Amino acid sequence: MKAKEGVIDFLNKVVTLELTAVHQYLLHAAMCDNWGYKQLQHEFHELATEEVGHVSKLIDHILYLEGTPDVQSLGQVKSGPNVSKLFEEDLKFEQEDANLLREAITHSAKVGDYTTRHKLEEMIEETDEHIDWFETQLRAIKQVGLENYLGEQMKK
Amino acid sequence: MKAKDGIIDLLNRILTANLTAINQYFVHGKMCENWGYERLHHQVCERSFAEMKDAEEIIEHILYLEGVPNMQRLGTVQVGETAPEQFNLDLKAEQEMLKLYTEAVTHCAKVGDYTTRHKLEDMQKDTDDHIDWIETQQELIKQVGLEKYLAEQIKKEGS
Repeated sequence: MKAKEGVIDFLNKVVTLELTAVHQYLLHAAMCDNWGYKQLQHEFHELATEEVGHVSKLIDHILYLEGTPDVQSLGQVKSGPNVSKLFEEDLKFEQEDANLLREAITHSAKVGDYTTRHKLEEMIEETDEHIDWFETQLRAIKQVGLENYLGEQMKK
Repeated sequence: MKAKDGIIDLLNRILTANLTAINQYFVHGKMCENWGYERLHHQVCERSFAEMKDAEEIIEHILYLEGVPNMQRLGTVQVGETAPEQFNLDLKAEQEMLKLYTEAVTHCAKVGDYTTRHKLEDMQKDTDDHIDWIETQQELIKQVGLEKYLAEQIKKEGS
């Protein structure tokens, strides 16, 4: 099936963002492991796996639309010197992701590609959940203090 | 633990090769799926996941050596338009990786970092296995012909 105008472009932009997310979360998982926060390592690893799932769905869909998936582009992978900073960067990242998905969803509706829109809507749901998770962690840190929070992350 | 001279640099080069391979094999696997070659789809995507495991191990090891993993670099992802072309490009990528592993293993021994050497040797063995697998596919295509080979790839492994 041929894609409607601009759809492949949007899908590839999302691929780039999701691939960047995979790199970022793999790095953050390993950093948390290195610091001894087993629970957080596990959480970041889960996030990376979910993002791989998104990439997989996007590439499938691009191929179905007879487009060429771009797996050569990579956005900026953000990191930080401590857990709070990682969360802040990740939250910002997921918010950007949600913005791009919203743009892509609006575009899909405009050109009448409701299959793509539906797929992207599923993705934005998960992105919203990620945003919520990071917000929750940052709020918990504020409420119980960083040391107490981190103390809870050592065990899985 | 502090890393010995040159180790982090080599590990980061291997990491880049792994990260590039993840993407290349993933796209190839997905293209095979799109063409209806379920069996190849699974085998090639599996390889992508294996590369991701290697990448994770390298990242963890770089951090353990108090280095900074470079997640920002990506080599050239070579995408083949047909299954045989994909095999050629994947073989090239694996051979490059093998060379890099050999260089790194030699260097580790020279500076006396046997932990890193041991890890790399395990990964190098996987690379060897993969090269063997690709060469087998290429030989099969030569012996039975491309059409027959591909027809066998339509079914999933075990079905």
